Amino acid sequence: MKATKLKILVLLLSLGSIMACNSGSKTESSTTASETPSHLQGQASVEDNESDKNILQVAIGSEAHSTLVVAVQAAQIENILVNAGPLTVFAPVNDAFAALPEGTVDNLLKPENKGDLTTILTRHAAPGSYNMEDLKREASKGRKIYMATGDYLEVVVDGEDVWVAGAKVLASIQTSNGIINVVDKVILP
Amino acid sequence: MKKVINRTSVVISVLLAMIIVGCSPNSGSNGALSSSVAERVYVAPGEQDEYYAFLSGGYSGNLTVYGLPSGRMFKEIPVFSQFPTSGYGYSEETKPMFETSHGFVPWDDAHHPDISQTNGELDGRWIFINGNNTPRIARISLSTFETEEIIEVPNSAGNHSSSFVTENTEYVVAGTRFSVPVPQRDMPIDEYKGNFKGALSFISVDPEHGHMDIKFQIIMPGFNYDLSHPGRGKSHGWMFFSTYNTEEANSLQEVNSSQNDKDFIAAINWKVIEEYVNNGGGTKMPAEYAHNVYDESTHMATSTMKKEVLTVNPIDIPGAIYFLPTPKSPHGCDVDPSGEYIIGSGKLSADLTVHSFDKMIAAIEAEKFDGDAYGIPILNYEDVLAGTVRSGGLGPLHTEFDGKGNAYTTFFISSEVVKWELGTWEVLDRQPTYYSVGHLMIPGGNSRKPFGKYVVAMNKITKDRYLPVGPEMEHSAQIYDISGDKMELLYDFPTHGEPHYAAGIPAELLAPKAKKFYKLEDNKHPYAVTTPNEVTIERKGNEVHISMATIRSHFTPDNIEGIKVGDKVYFHITNQEQDFDVPHGFAMIGQNSSELLIMPGQTKSSVWEPKKVGVWPFYCTDFCSALHQEMQGYIRVSPRNSSIALKWSLDGDELN
Amino acid sequence: MKKSKLLMMFGALLLLPLFVLPLWNITLEAPQYPESIGMDIYINRFEGAAPNDIKNINIMNHYVGMKDIPETIPEFEYFPMIIAGMAVLGVVVGLIGRKKLYLAWFILMTTLGTLGMYDFYQWEYEYGHNLKQNAAIKFTTPDGEPMSYQPPLIGAKMILNFKAISMPRAGAYLMFLGMGLTVLAFYQAKKEEGYEEGLDTA
Repeated sequence: MKATKLKILVLLLSLGSIMACNSGSKTESSTTASETPSHLQGQASVEDNESDKNILQVAIGSEAHSTLVVAVQAAQIENILVNAGPLTVFAPVNDAFAALPEGTVDNLLKPENKGDLTTILTRHAAPGSYNMEDLKREASKGRKIYMATGDYLEVVVDGEDVWVAGAKVLASIQTSNGIINVVDKVILP
Repeated sequence: MKKVINRTSVVISVLLAMIIVGCSPNSGSNGALSSSVAERVYVAPGEQDEYYAFLSGGYSGNLTVYGLPSGRMFKEIPVFSQFPTSGYGYSEETKPMFETSHGFVPWDDAHHPDISQTNGELDGRWIFINGNNTPRIARISLSTFETEEIIEVPNSAGNHSSSFVTENTEYVVAGTRFSVPVPQRDMPIDEYKGNFKGALSFISVDPEHGHMDIKFQIIMPGFNYDLSHPGRGKSHGWMFFSTYNTEEANSLQEVNSSQNDKDFIAAINWKVIEEYVNNGGGTKMPAEYAHNVYDESTHMATSTMKKEVLTVNPIDIPGAIYFLPTPKSPHGCDVDPSGEYIIGSGKLSADLTVHSFDKMIAAIEAEKFDGDAYGIPILNYEDVLAGTVRSGGLGPLHTEFDGKGNAYTTFFISSEVVKWELGTWEVLDRQPTYYSVGHLMIPGGNSRKPFGKYVVAMNKITKDRYLPVGPEMEHSAQIYDISGDKMELLYDFPTHGEPHYAAGIPAELLAPKAKKFYKLEDNKHPYAVTTPNEVTIERKGNEVHISMATIRSHFTPDNIEGIKVGDKVYFHITNQEQDFDVPHGFAMIGQNSSELLIMPGQTKSSVWEPKKVGVWPFYCTDFCSALHQEMQGYIRVSPRNSSIALKWSLDGDELN
Repeated sequence: MKKSKLLMMFGALLLLPLFVLPLWNITLEAPQYPESIGMDIYINRFEGAAPNDIKNINIMNHYVGMKDIPETIPEFEYFPMIIAGMAVLGVVVGLIGRKKLYLAWFILMTTLGTLGMYDFYQWEYEYGHNLKQNAAIKFTTPDGEPMSYQPPLIGAKMILNFKAISMPRAGAYLMFLGMGLTVLAFYQAKKEEGYEEGLDTA
């Protein structure tokens, strides 16, 4: 009898603790991180389940991009991927990361290599909207794609297929703030 | 029993500890909630702020006045938009302010306020702001905080690289964002390249009255001229404009204007051009543009249509204009307080480009050019480059300065303000903004003498910053304390419209000279009455002019008869009060216009065309006094063919 | 010239600043007037402490039925004459140099001053009590009597939410000083006579 009372008390108090923290722990729903990193107080932490999904949300929802998402979180550039844009992200699938020499990804994910990781990821983002058709048009006009790092990437078209800097575009996904072009390779300098 | 209690209390303590531990990282990171930060923005009731901040209203067309650090809004100054709150643009006196060569344009998109300067320091006489859509520049008095003058800018379109003042307010400068055929003509759009032109207008400012006049327009190549800033100190006499779309694309600019690796910052030696035109240089071109001036003594605006503008062809004045190559569609074009550094923010780039004025002069003197564009010499990028700021941010837009050797740049895509050091180009600090920041403002941050205590970041995206109010929201702004090594977020406040740029100034420079009321004896309005004994009603055909007086708490006259259906009735109302903050309002039932809000000593007029027979009331709209509710009157409207004579009275005493 | 004579004449001449300096002042303090509003009373005119103060006092007061502060009052006609006359008289008395006349001048001046104060009180009473019957706001005292708004003769008094302060101003203070000097002149004259008598006896 007394033990039951105690259990109820514990339950109530736990509930209380959850409610007490509710307002503070909002951001945890969008990340697996155990504590709330300060950078996540940016736009990436805006709660909105009604609007069309943005680049970050689509990537998080894609099983084939779990490595990319981990990398984005490690580089702490989530806020950039939810920005008004428009942005075009060339998103390598997990296999693309797996194809890199062994240990490359683990090494990049180390906190001390955050700068390098950010540069590599930024090289996959272009200001502007370029879906498959746009890429073909750019190629036909002989224009390269200007990336956020300042590099220009060459677009090659062969029939229906499009390659950007040697990475094949597997699909184009329209998101609320730009385009995700799924690619089969990590675009390295 | 005792044991149970002990166990319970242990469990409770553990859980409480969990609650505290569980919550602490959040409360710890919410630095803005800590009391010391709260105290720094707290302006106690009855106390006043340290700075005025004038935020442009963007698509509201107006200018808002805030206090810093409190973030409290004091006033919305109507500039380019009709403002029913005061009757601006509805009253007969202010309608001419909206005259343009396209007719009455009662709205604009207000972007970049700039306070007048003397010797490169804020002097607090006037503030200028540009209308982006139908190109116009407005001048606002900083004693009455009212718009005094609007000049239209011909040959311009998308008046965006405006309205920046030179070091002694010799000129307020207005550059076109969209190049257009000059003069306008019927031609195919795709023949843009080489045919469209970009006009950069130098509008002189009369040092005594502030009256504006287009001194000359430079007819530049058909690029987009995005932003500009004046040289100062040693670079005084130069003006710098960022350009993009040097590709001269006329469609899908989001792609086609982003092709060139480098666009230009145009460096313009306006003193050379000034001398050239003073010596008879330039070509007078037929043009049509309105010049609207509000006179404080008559309380009336007049509009004049000008017919001619003096244009200058860059190739006719060698040595006056040069292009500095600047990467990736530079947006912001900012000059540091010393006048040595010109910062170009390539908005598609991660880095900032800093040009050196001294190096530019050396390259010009050595005649080291890398070709030309439409005859304008292009300098070598490497020859003029002072340094590059490797910011680590994305989408740099605008830079301001604290006067202590530091610069602060906003990054739209990465939503942050980055503090860096002039000379070493090292990034010292970065703080997030909420979200996607556009301009930022340090009071005096665009002058020789910045007041580097606060920076205000003005954001484009609000999302969840405030309680939700449906899809349309005001934009958010953040105030940071920049007096220390690191920026500290102090406060977050909503703004009105869409602030682009802003201008700030210490309160002690403006507050002591702010006008309290207009002197009745100085009122030169043709229908003003300086005592209630002078009120009169005049009929001229079907036009009726009623000169009316207001004083707490009645209108003189308040009973009027003899008005007929079909009349055009002008109310000319003079507020007889001579006391600070005692406005009276005026509203007439069914009037197809806004109310009038009349300041003490002022006269305002509005038109009423009664359509129905009856006895119609009017009243004071401002809760002026304890007997405000009694401040009303009646007008008898008789049929068109009625023979009722005009009669006006107060308290039964006929006044005619 | 004897010191007493100089004192007498100088004391009388200290009336003359009244032509440029205010005699009296009434100031009203209230929350809606952080800088207060007020009226200076000269021997020949009323003047607002700030340019529009009289107008603003009239606007406020009209709600309770008080009449406008008049542009001018009959006193402004004869006050300057009395003051000028007394100054001239004082100088003449000083030239004559009879100490009893000094005292007589002082007593006359005091009498006139008291009459002036009485007149001022009368005007204040009339101003504060004789209200228009159609006043918009009619306050009553706790006894049910119509409220009056008479400012104090001297000192401060709360009238509704206004603190009314009535105090002499520079002109009056100089006048008081001058009157004091004429009394001093009387005693000085007495001393001088004593000294002369002493000389005689020696």
